[in-house]
This record gives sequence, structure tokens and C-alpha cells, in this order.
Amino acid sequence: MGSESVTAVILAAGEGRRLTPLTNRRPKPMVPVANRPLLEHVVEAITATAIDRIVLVVGYEQERIRNHFGDGDDWGVTIEYVEQSTQLGTGHAVLQAEPVVDGPFVVLNGDRIVDPAVVSQVRDRAIDDDLPAMAVTTAANPRQYGVVTLDGDRVTDIDEKPEGAVETNQINAGVYAFSPAVFDAIRETHVAGELAITATLDDLAATETLSAVRYDGRWLDVSNLWDLLTVNAALIGDSGASDADGPTFGDSVTVADDAALAGNVRVGPNVTIGGSTAVGSNATVEAGAVVENAVIFPDAVIGAGAVVRDAIVAGNARIGPNATVAGGPATVVVGDAVHRGVELGGVVGDNATVGSGATLADGAVVGDDVTADAGVVIDGRIESGAVVRRG
Amino acid sequence: MCGITGYIGDGIALDDGESAANDGATGDAAGDGGRFARVGGIVHEGLRNLEYRGYDSAGVALVGEASGLTVAKRSGEVDNLTVPDVADAALGIGHTRWSTHGPPTDENAHPHTDCVGDVAVVHNGIVENHEALKTELSDHEFTSDTDTEVIPHLIEEELAAASGAGGLLDAVRAVESRLEGSYAICAVRDGDDRIVVARRGSPLVLGHDEDATFVASDVTAFLEHTRDVTYLEDGDVASLSAEGVEVYADGELVDRETETVTWEADAAEKGGYEHYMRKEIHEQPESLRQTIAGRLDVDAGDADLDVSFPPGFLADLEEIQIVACGTSNYAGRYAAQLFEDLSGVRATVETASEYEFGAGRSADRTLVVAVTQSGETADTLGAIRRANAAGARTFAVTNTLGSTVTREVDDTAFIRAGPEIGVAATKTFASQVATLTMLAVGIGRERGALGAADARPVLEGLRDLPGAVQQVLDAEPKVREAANEYGDSEAFFFVGRQLGVPVALEGALKLKEISYDHAEGFAAGELKHGPLALVTPDTPVLAVLTDGSRADETMNNVTEAQTRGAPAIGCVSAGEEYATLDVSLPVPDVGLVEPLVANVYLQLFAYHVANDKGRSIDKPRNLAKSVTVE
Repeated sequence: MGSESVTAVILAAGEGRRLTPLTNRRPKPMVPVANRPLLEHVVEAITATAIDRIVLVVGYEQERIRNHFGDGDDWGVTIEYVEQSTQLGTGHAVLQAEPVVDGPFVVLNGDRIVDPAVVSQVRDRAIDDDLPAMAVTTAANPRQYGVVTLDGDRVTDIDEKPEGAVETNQINAGVYAFSPAVFDAIRETHVAGELAITATLDDLAATETLSAVRYDGRWLDVSNLWDLLTVNAALIGDSGASDADGPTFGDSVTVADDAALAGNVRVGPNVTIGGSTAVGSNATVEAGAVVENAVIFPDAVIGAGAVVRDAIVAGNARIGPNATVAGGPATVVVGDAVHRGVELGGVVGDNATVGSGATLADGAVVGDDVTADAGVVIDGRIESGAVVRRG
Repeated sequence: MCGITGYIGDGIALDDGESAANDGATGDAAGDGGRFARVGGIVHEGLRNLEYRGYDSAGVALVGEASGLTVAKRSGEVDNLTVPDVADAALGIGHTRWSTHGPPTDENAHPHTDCVGDVAVVHNGIVENHEALKTELSDHEFTSDTDTEVIPHLIEEELAAASGAGGLLDAVRAVESRLEGSYAICAVRDGDDRIVVARRGSPLVLGHDEDATFVASDVTAFLEHTRDVTYLEDGDVASLSAEGVEVYADGELVDRETETVTWEADAAEKGGYEHYMRKEIHEQPESLRQTIAGRLDVDAGDADLDVSFPPGFLADLEEIQIVACGTSNYAGRYAAQLFEDLSGVRATVETASEYEFGAGRSADRTLVVAVTQSGETADTLGAIRRANAAGARTFAVTNTLGSTVTREVDDTAFIRAGPEIGVAATKTFASQVATLTMLAVGIGRERGALGAADARPVLEGLRDLPGAVQQVLDAEPKVREAANEYGDSEAFFFVGRQLGVPVALEGALKLKEISYDHAEGFAAGELKHGPLALVTPDTPVLAVLTDGSRADETMNNVTEAQTRGAPAIGCVSAGEEYATLDVSLPVPDVGLVEPLVANVYLQLFAYHVANDKGRSIDKPRNLAKSVTVE
């Protein structure tokens, strides 16, 4: 294999439990922002570079990924698949690519959106054979990530989600370049529990062989449900408007410039679609509804007169007429963690039905297949398949 | 059912990393180290792309200035064919066969040649008068059982008669006028730098690339190379040379429009899936979104397929006759009930091959609707021609732009399902029913037979169909489990009532087609009138128990079978429950299209039963995707 030929390996096997209920039936990389799966944004960052072969490591609900990307012709690249049948960590995921990679390669996460620039920079490092290499960026909240200590252009230490104070805001951007030697390095990494690629990187950093690629471009991470709204807004701001095919509009419809509507969306009369809103394929927004700062998945129906703000409405969900997701800062519990003051009006899972006139309290998360009766007030988290009755 | 392809040009440079087209037919033409597909490799690749049309034999003929005519052919799949490496080949033709006249043997494979081996011909269709022609050619030596072989010998006669003066083009034109039947032909000749093609009744399309021309039965053969295509019309004879294409009709040079194909070739590739069928089952939410895009107006209670009938035609309409075969016929049976319920018109479904425009009908008050995925189904085209001859208005529901049926009917509605490669139709059935449902609503509204309020729930059901199908796909593990548990049974019975009947028929057909198991579908009420005698603990019953299929009554029949020990699998409307079912598969609430959603479970069941048995799912034995012979 020539030195110019670099393969991109994208890790897309994970489930993304923190994004439940959205990840109950699709892997996290297939959660849509700006009407396209997270993973498609990653793939496009790669196709904008000189890389033309992508290996997707898939596992959880992999059919969704295979069905969407096929053999990559739509993106002008060759896409191949390897399966990680049990999710034993990102290092283990990288190992799955060993049989199909025989030269330098770059590794990206399927759920983290970066600019083509960083992919190119890391790829260049692979071609220069300065391997292994790792992209380093800065974050406002470095303690949520792997905090990186540098010595010149060498990474000397990676501290995963450190508890105490940190001296730097430099973090691991999750974009790497490796030679096939990394497979042995991963196998030689000894960890308890999941085999994370960062553990191997930490070993490599200790030997001062890990080179850093500094990067200050776009770096969008979806850790929690509310991140979807900010990432969606950021991406729509870039791409701007709606499909050229043209949705069907009723009379007196207002659509903000920074709203993205799929081509076959139906919008009833007197609807207002505000900024930072994405409305997916075959979705319907009925007469008089107001949708703002929202991610609406394909096939969803927003009923007449409903108000949906700061919200995520998943596939084929129904928001009844005059139902309200008022929006605003909320307190959301994810697992054991309590997040206060997050901008999340509410989340409605796939195929859920929110009855007419029902209200979602700020931060409410309605599971998939939930049926909520007319007029109920929904607060907190409703488990999948539950029936919410009035009174 | 057979596939034809041909190429004339200088070969194609391969991108780095692109797989060599095949065995020895690639080389370093320019001597600069770049990799390169030669004519033979390009024709072979075209055959692979067409393999879904037929795959029991394949062959190629290549012509080069020094090498002359080289023919290679054999029975078996396209991949088993070794295409010789003819370095100076300037043009080539190829054929993938699905046997009609004569078994799949090396001799019966195309191309066929004349006595001296100067002329080679590939042919799709039937030469109906081949027996008579063969008698005339009594001094010629025939080596195959095919009807096709008369063509190269007739060409040989013509060339001899004219001392070769008019060349291959004139010879083919003369021969073409003597053939009866339906056909598409490509002919080449030693010492001639042209491919001459003719079309009558079987599809043939030209592809225009820079300094090269392709010809094929179907654009998928060459779509990766060019999107600029010309569909030939019946009676056209065309000459393809290095200078370009000349098309003749009735002896006159004519201009045929060049169109640009907009759909993606990759849509016809199976990507990460093991089988096209599974991929196509999973594509249904997206293909259905395309089917309904821009066509539903739920608020107004109307559907718009962008077709207009002459003023007063619909008001006076007395009967809709649907003509179709196989799965399309079952889509027609689903629709016939909707035409009666929603459009207020008597509707009948005819097996296309049996169809005659019967007495007692008024031609100007009858609409004949052809349902055909490919638009090339010979039986259906025959039925439409008989309807046209009788003076009835004709309408096509098809998936294929530019297909023959679209030229022969008064109006067409496209189902927009995208290319379907698996021989077993899946997503096109769903899109056919969805399209016909919109047609039923549109006609009902225009006739005043259907009010907006009654139309709305039907349209909402259509709108919600993609999401409902996605939910069924999400439940695939449950179907896989059922297939695993019951797949080895002796026989399978599929039952339903009303709209559940065509779905039962289709469910049984899918299983037969791909798993080769004995499966029967029928109206649930018929169970006790005979089939119940076959029911044992080893014959599972699969039932459609949804809206639109009189679920409670059907369940009574299922219970009759269960009493005889048969396991029962039911597709049940969400929220309903039949406690005695061995497997209950929930169908989301979408009203009249619920049986259509239930059908997706039956598709998955058939797929997993066949897959567990290791069947050749995308290319079942003895079957071809589009049946272009009667």
C-alpha cells in the first residue's frame, strides 16, 4: 500500500445510553442533527479530505448504519464494515479493524463532529510517519474529557475526566493517526474493565512517542440530550436553509432563515418555525403550531396549535393538538447525575404519543412508545412503553 | 428475463483501488502504468450488473481488427464465465440468459453465430416464427435449441445475397422485418466496426459516454459510466460506431431524444447487507416517504398523483380493471377493494396473461390499470395492448421511468420506490399499494364518492406508514426468532380476510419464492372448506389480524387450525390482543394500510426462514426479476 493511501476508521458501534430514549432503537451515531445522522457529518468531514476509504466499526443496531451508508457511493468513498459484536471499549473497537487495515490509518469517533482540517492534519502526520498522533483541542469544560499534558509537540500525559483542578484546558479531540503497530500496543494494554483506546494512548504518552496535532476548529460533542440542540443549532447555522425540492407550505407560514426543513415536510397554514430548528423527512407540522429551537425527526407529527420549544421530537412521535413544550432552563437527571440549568424543554421518544393539550414540564423526557393522555402534565422521565393517564 | 449489454469504445481507465473488471480483460493499455479495463472487461461488468435479469447462462462476443470475432459462452452464473483477453477488441456484446427455448447449456447460451462464424447475435425476447424461418434455412447448420439462432443465419443469408454491399446494418434491417414476436437484438460481425441493434417489444437503451457507446436492456448495466441515455422505440434499428450512433425507423434516419438518468446507480448496490432482499425490506420507510412525498394533502382530504383524466371520464366510469402478475397482482387485489370502498367504482383484478376485454363492457367507461414494477412484464404489456385495442383508457402504475408500459398507456403514476434488485419484490409491493391507495382516494374525491372527512383517516394512515414500517423493522429480532422456531415446518398457511387476503397471498408467495417451502395463502373463511385437512401440528398458520381484515372473524378460523395443533403467528393491531397466539406481532394503528404494514412482518419471516436454510435469496432458482416473455 502506498504511503498516500490512508484509511479512516470510524468507531460507530456504541449504544449511547446517555441519549436514551433516542438510542433505544438506533445507535448514537445515527441520531440526526440538522436532518442528518451525526455519523454522516463525520463521514463528510473525511470525504472533504484526500481519504477515500472508510471502515466503519459497527455493533449496536448496526443495520441502521449499513442501510444508510451502503457501500459509500453516495459520498464518493468506499465504505466497509467490521463488526464489534460486544462493546468492550474503544480500544477493542479499533482492534476489530485490524484485518482490513494494512497501512497508516486515522481513527475518529462516529458521534463527534469535527472539521475536515483536523482530519487532514492528522492524515498528514500519518503520511509523514510521525505516529502515533493525536489531535488536541481546547474545551471550556476540560474536566469532562481527557485532559492532555504537552511537552512541545509530544503528549506526555492524558488524564481521563480528572476530578480535581486542572492546569490546562487542552483535551484529547478524539482524532488519531496510527500505524498497524498500534494493534499490538492495544493488546499489551492492561486495564480493568473496558479496553479504552485512551488507556493505550496513555501508555504511549508515557514513552513520549505520541505526537500532538493542535487543532482549534469546530469540535461538537453530543454527550447529553440537550447537546443535540446546541449542535443542531451550530450545524444549521453553517448549512443554512432547507431542501431545494421544497416542503409543502400552507398559507401564512413563517420560517426562520436558520431553520432546516427536509424536502417532503408538510407545513400547515399559520405555522411558525423558529430558528435553530430541523424538521426531518415526511414530518408534518399542522396548522398554527409553533416550533422553535427543536430537532424534529422523520415521520413525526406536530399537532395543530402545539407549541414545541427547546425540544427533541423523535421518529414517528405525535405531539397532540395544543400540546405544549414551553422550553427554558431545566433540571435533568441522567443516571445518577443531576444537571441543573440546562436548556431543554423536553424530549419525546420514537412512536410516543403526547395527547392533545398535554404539557411537558421543562426537561421532561418521554420514553419511546409512551402514550400520554390528553391534558396530562408530564414531569421528569417517563419510561418506555408507559401509559400516562389523566387524574 | 434475459439481459443484453454491449460496448464500443477505447476502454476505461480505472481509478486507483477500483477492482479490476475481471480475468485478463484488463491491462495496461497506455503503457504508463495506469490500470485499464478493456472492452471484454467492460462487457463482463455490464453482465454482472444485469445478472438479476437472468443467470442460468452467459456469454460475450468481441470483435477486433486483427483478432476477428471471438465468442465465449457457457451455462452458469456470470462469474463462471471467463472472458478471453482480446487486446485489440474494439467492440463487444454480452448476454445473460434465463432459459425459455432449450435448457441452460453451453450451446444454448448466447451469443449465437452463423455457419461460418462471422456473425454473432445476442437476443432478448421470442422469435415466434422461428420454426418457419428455420425450415427456410434448411441448408444452414444449427447448433442450439434456441429461437435466437435463426437470426445470425438470416443475417448470413442477407449478407451473401447482397454480397455484403450493404453491410451489417442493411442485413439486420432486412432480417428485422422478417421476425415476428418481441425482441431486442445486438449483432456484430467480423471485419465490421459497428454494433447493430434492433428493438421491437423488448427494452433496449443506449448510453452515451465520451468516445464510447453502451447498449443494454437496462441502464443499470452501465450507469456507473454514463447517465446520458437514449431509449430506443419499437421498430428502431441503430448502428453504433466509433463516430457515434445512427438510429433508423422505417428506413429513415431519425433523432431520438437523449435523457439524463437521475437516480443513483449505488441505489442498486447492496452496500453492507448480505442480501438485496434484506436491504430492500429495510429501505421501505425511506422508499415509502418518496412514494408519498408531495402527494398527500391531509387537510384538504385529497391525494394528487399529477394525472388528469378527460372531463367527465371519472364521473361516467363503470369499472376499473386491474391487470398484473405475481406480487403486482396482489397489490392490485389490495387496491381493487379500495377502489370499490373509496372510489365507488366496481373493480376487478385479472391475471394479465388471462386478460381479455370481455363482452358487455363499455370501453369508454372502463379504466384498465396495469401494475408492473419493471414496466416490461410481457404478460402485462400484452393485456394493455388488448385493452388499448378494445378502446379502453389505460393507466400504468410502475417503478420504471421510460419503461415500455409508460409508452403504451394513456397515463402513468410512478411508485418512486427506487431500483429493486432482489428477485422477490418487497419495497415495490409496499409502494405499489401506497400509490394505488392514493389513486383510489383521488378518483373517489373527483367522482364525489368520497368526502374529505372520510378521506382524511386514509391519508393519515399513508402519512404514518413509513414510521409504522420502521417500527416493524425495529421488531425484526422477534420475527427472526419465530422464523427460527417454525422455519423447519412441513408447510405454511397464510390467512386473512378482506385486505388481509392479498397480504396472505403475498406472504405465502414470498416464502415459496425464496425458501422453496410449501406455502399457501387464502381467505381465512376458506380454511374450513378444504385446506383444514392439511393442517397438522407441523403446519404453522400466519394470520393478518389488523384493521381492514376483519380480525375477530379471522381469529375464529385461526382457532380452528389451532384446535388441530397448528401453531399460530398473528400480526395484530396495536392495543388488541389474542391470548392464544403463539407469536403476536404488533402492527401500529394506521387504519386501512395496516395489512400492508403486517406484510413487512411476513417479508421478514420469509427472509429469515430462507436465510436459516442458506437459500440463494436474491436469485431464487428458476426465477427472474422481470419476466419479459409471455
